[in-house]
Amino acid sequence: MPLPPSIYHLSSSHLRLDGRRWNELRRLTAQISTQASADGSSYLEMGNTKVLCTVTGPSEGKGGGRRGDEDSMSVDVRVNVAGFAGMDRKRVGRGDRRITELQNTISSAFSSTLFTHLYPHSTISLQIHILSLDGSLLAASLNAATLALIDAGVPMRDYLVACTAGLTPPSGRGDGDDMDPLLDLNGSEETEVPFLTVGTGGAGGGDVGGGGGWV
Amino acid sequence: MTSLKRSVADPYTSNILSKVFVRSTKIGKVQKVVRELYLRQDIPCSSRLCAACLAIAPGDANGVVAPFILSEKPAGTKSFPEGHYLVPDTNALLNGMDLFEQTSGFYDVIILQTVLDELRNRSLPLYNRVIGLTKSDDKHVYVFFNDFRLETYVVREPGETINDRNDRAVRRAVSWYREHLQNSLNTSKNPKQCPAILMLSDDKENLRKAKAENLNACSLSTYVSGLENADRLLDMINASRQIQESRSSAADKLYPDYLSLPKMMTGIRAGTLHQGIFNVSPYNYLEGSVHVPAFDKSLLILGRENSNRAVSGDAVVVEVLPKTQWKAPSTKIIEEETLNKNENAETEDGEGEAVVTEQERRALQEEVRKTQGKSIEGRPQPTARVVGVIKRNWRQYVGHIDSSSSSAGSQGRKQQTVFLIPMDKRIPKIRLRTRQADELLGKRVLVTIDSWDQDSRYPMGHFVRSLGDLETKGAETEALLLEYDVQYRPFPKGVLDCLPHEGHDWKVPASLTDSGWKGRKDLRDLLVCSIDPVGCQDIDDALHARPLPNGNFEIGVHIADVSHFVKPNNAMDAEASIRGTTVYLVDKRIDMLPMLLGTDLCSLKPYVERYAFSVLWEITKDAEIINSSFTKSVIRSREAFSYEQAQLRIDDKSQKDDLTQGMRTLLMLSKKLRRKRMDAGALNLASPEVRVQTESETSDPVDVKTKELLDTNSLVEEFMLLANISVAGKIYESFPQTALLRRHAPPPKSNFEELANQLKTKRGHSLRTESSKALADSLDTCVDPTEPFFNTLIRIMATRCMMSAEYFCSGTQSYPEFRHYGLASEIYTHFTSPIRRYADLVAHRQLAAAIEYEQLDVSLHSKPKLEEVCKNINVRHRNAQMAGRASVEYYVGQALKGRIIEEEGSVMKVFSNGFVVFVPRFGIEGLIRLGDLATPEPEGTFDAEEYVLRVSGSVKLEVELFQKVTVRISDVKEESTGKRKIKLELIKP
Repeated sequence: MPLPPSIYHLSSSHLRLDGRRWNELRRLTAQISTQASADGSSYLEMGNTKVLCTVTGPSEGKGGGRRGDEDSMSVDVRVNVAGFAGMDRKRVGRGDRRITELQNTISSAFSSTLFTHLYPHSTISLQIHILSLDGSLLAASLNAATLALIDAGVPMRDYLVACTAGLTPPSGRGDGDDMDPLLDLNGSEETEVPFLTVGTGGAGGGDVGGGGGWV
Repeated sequence: MTSLKRSVADPYTSNILSKVFVRSTKIGKVQKVVRELYLRQDIPCSSRLCAACLAIAPGDANGVVAPFILSEKPAGTKSFPEGHYLVPDTNALLNGMDLFEQTSGFYDVIILQTVLDELRNRSLPLYNRVIGLTKSDDKHVYVFFNDFRLETYVVREPGETINDRNDRAVRRAVSWYREHLQNSLNTSKNPKQCPAILMLSDDKENLRKAKAENLNACSLSTYVSGLENADRLLDMINASRQIQESRSSAADKLYPDYLSLPKMMTGIRAGTLHQGIFNVSPYNYLEGSVHVPAFDKSLLILGRENSNRAVSGDAVVVEVLPKTQWKAPSTKIIEEETLNKNENAETEDGEGEAVVTEQERRALQEEVRKTQGKSIEGRPQPTARVVGVIKRNWRQYVGHIDSSSSSAGSQGRKQQTVFLIPMDKRIPKIRLRTRQADELLGKRVLVTIDSWDQDSRYPMGHFVRSLGDLETKGAETEALLLEYDVQYRPFPKGVLDCLPHEGHDWKVPASLTDSGWKGRKDLRDLLVCSIDPVGCQDIDDALHARPLPNGNFEIGVHIADVSHFVKPNNAMDAEASIRGTTVYLVDKRIDMLPMLLGTDLCSLKPYVERYAFSVLWEITKDAEIINSSFTKSVIRSREAFSYEQAQLRIDDKSQKDDLTQGMRTLLMLSKKLRRKRMDAGALNLASPEVRVQTESETSDPVDVKTKELLDTNSLVEEFMLLANISVAGKIYESFPQTALLRRHAPPPKSNFEELANQLKTKRGHSLRTESSKALADSLDTCVDPTEPFFNTLIRIMATRCMMSAEYFCSGTQSYPEFRHYGLASEIYTHFTSPIRRYADLVAHRQLAAAIEYEQLDVSLHSKPKLEEVCKNINVRHRNAQMAGRASVEYYVGQALKGRIIEEEGSVMKVFSNGFVVFVPRFGIEGLIRLGDLATPEPEGTFDAEEYVLRVSGSVKLEVELFQKVTVRISDVKEESTGKRKIKLELIKP
């Protein structure tokens, strides 16, 4: 088992559990157009968090759809966590509250970023498959979805990009003003540290979505 | 702020590795864990000699680069005159942790990440001690993250064991350090001598390989022998390993094997085995008991074989023996010292070494024969044997060397094995290998237990340090503090940094607009005073009372506002939460908070303004509470009374000022409150409390006095209880899940069985225990007109049957369980002594949040964190009490030194070969063995039904329970141990 999170302050090393400094992201790799059959698709790795996203649509709203939303496109998000994604193999049910919350957050983030008024009476659906899970789930999903939407050519105000940020515990010397911010938390850090996911829509109408907290 | 991004074309891509390992969870599931690893080249070597690392060393988020730790001119030895940096490997730390904590040597140590990792898996306490070392500024201990540095990372080869891989990583780091330092010194302008990098290891294979790679390496003992005070240091190396090597498999196993962990787990789940804490009887070292939920009565564990290497305090797994082997608890005093006096510590194998010595066997057999007669007390209790140990609870033990076990006057500094007799009678003798036996004789010595092998009758330990001569005040006090795990070191700098900068000049801000006044009531006009014992410096509480126009009274209890000065989660708070309580010894006080706060800034001293947390009530003449309110305030105490002074002032009819009138009101109301509490069933318990009078200059004990109780004592007590109860209600209402409360569980009925039985047969009194009220009433009836002390004696004995009160977090119990049995209150907490108890400080913070004065810190919202706090302060509280009592006991002994006094006492407990006498005048309890009455030892027959010991033979007499006796008290120095003991001799039955 690796050392506990307090190693950050050990001998003032300022090293995180995986050897990164406070402001370093994990290795980020991404591809677009990975799935020819979809209208847009992407594959994103942030360290060991691996996400596959496909976009279908915009297509005509399903059988009447929701009322009141007729003059703009609705964004439908499905998140599917693979059984082998985490450390324990377990099934995540449809009604899982955390997944539902994740879907709603992503959906509302893109509803305000995409030019939804261009496609009345229609739905765009995003399928996000989590292949491997090691922290920063919301951030990775948002980034992958942005890439897939670019691939699909859906008009948007700006690219929506997200990252998690946390705060180290105080070192115990002094009054706690030595708490350092951390970027792009991995799974084990997320269990130890309070964190927040920040998304930004760039200069064209910033949009900050939040999530996370104590785990 | 900048953020660094890694692109695919990053030249370091090859530095990103995945670490894959398998671990098993608590419930036995196997998990495969994949972790990323980012190797880097900017981890500094942290030597002040190295300029290259200083240039690349990155800082924290504020750009602050940590100062380099390893010194320019490290200490050297004969073999390394140019100085050296030490690199211990894991087993060197495991064997010699005590060495690394020495102040005489072992500076400039590099702890590798690999080693730290391995150490954490092997022993968490040792890991924490190493972390503690890295935090001290003067030890120069640096943690080098070799597994994150590109050059020193080592990939585990196929077929290589993890240990070999780690050893290789250590060697790689050592060689890197050497080259790195050499290079950076060569390139620098003014070349200095390069210190050697010395690897310390106790692994022969590792040493051999290091030599082959041309690295500086040696074993811990070789290194230590080159140091100045080698003999003392050599003793501090863990003994178990060296012995194991030399003994191999030759010796027979004396103790049965332990079961494997999975086997024990299944057994516990199936109900065939039980888990509990192993406790040894203070009267009989061969009798242990384990309380398990499945049985009402504790399981008895008789004899060495059954207790199977368990030491008092260990968490053990036991198997219940068949009913035919159930026995009654012992009625005999068996002390290890007297029984196995002449054992030889050196002989390890041979005839002498059986698990149970002949004397022990005889003692036990006699036992069985005597308890054959069926009696009420002799009802058999289930017995059990230990089959495994879940967790050792070994700590450091204080004791003295058994002089008979050392071959005194042995020439030179030969290593020999001696016995250490711990102060705590429940701990077995510890076998110790030492080169300085001669010097250690007659000293208080601190040791740790390293191991207890199957082939050794006693546990094996090693020397940590000597505290000083036996019976010197310094050594005995320190021994006591160590024995009860009291933190007595001075406060570290980090803690003192949290104090207000103004120091003693701090004052309540004069301007009412100052932020300190926000939310505070100005109560400076009230006539507040404090009443405490003589010479009290940390004044926690003050009181006032004044009549209201409607005929009622306003009563205020004002408590020092410690939470204003001690903010949550800083170093001072952390230290206080570890200390948990202030410990009062006869001649010394070990503070929970630094002096500046405890005796000055927080203390509600007279004539100055102080911040306070006030509880205000409106109370009718009949002591009915109309309403209560809580507020932060500023007060000015008018006078600090001692109990005696306050009593005199109240009794003095000529005093008619408002302050005295207020005190009279308080006294009047407190009597009514007390009456009410007693009517509700509060218990009036007694414990033998004595006060040692000391000479003011030298603090040498002069005389012993029993504590007097004045009306003013109970005045203060009543209002403190009332404040605590009011606060408990308030914080529970605001935080039903996380309020910190105190409860006192009703004692299980079986606890009183024996006492009730004794009272019935001896005196014809019946003890009813169905409720605290019934108990209080029946205790009141237990009086003997001829013996005024009899009632107190019964109360003392009843107190010992009680459970102890404990702190808990309200979410962990249901409301009916909150009850405080002794005080007969539904809910209770501690609020009134925040200077000396951490629990009160937590209650203050919770109350402040409950009245919306400030926000509650997150840590006080979390149930698990609070539970942890409760667990710690419960232990600390108990230890502090025991340390205080032991200190009184020691000083009573010192006060009686060289005197012979005849006193009356009462028989408290009767054994088949002796009895215990309690002397109220000095609050001491002493054992009188039959052997002490006359030599040869007279015959004794013990009638367990009647609690009578009939002695025949050379002396003829009868001793029965509760009997009044006259004893001669003297002190003797035992020849074999050099320990001074109080001795009681029977003069007149």
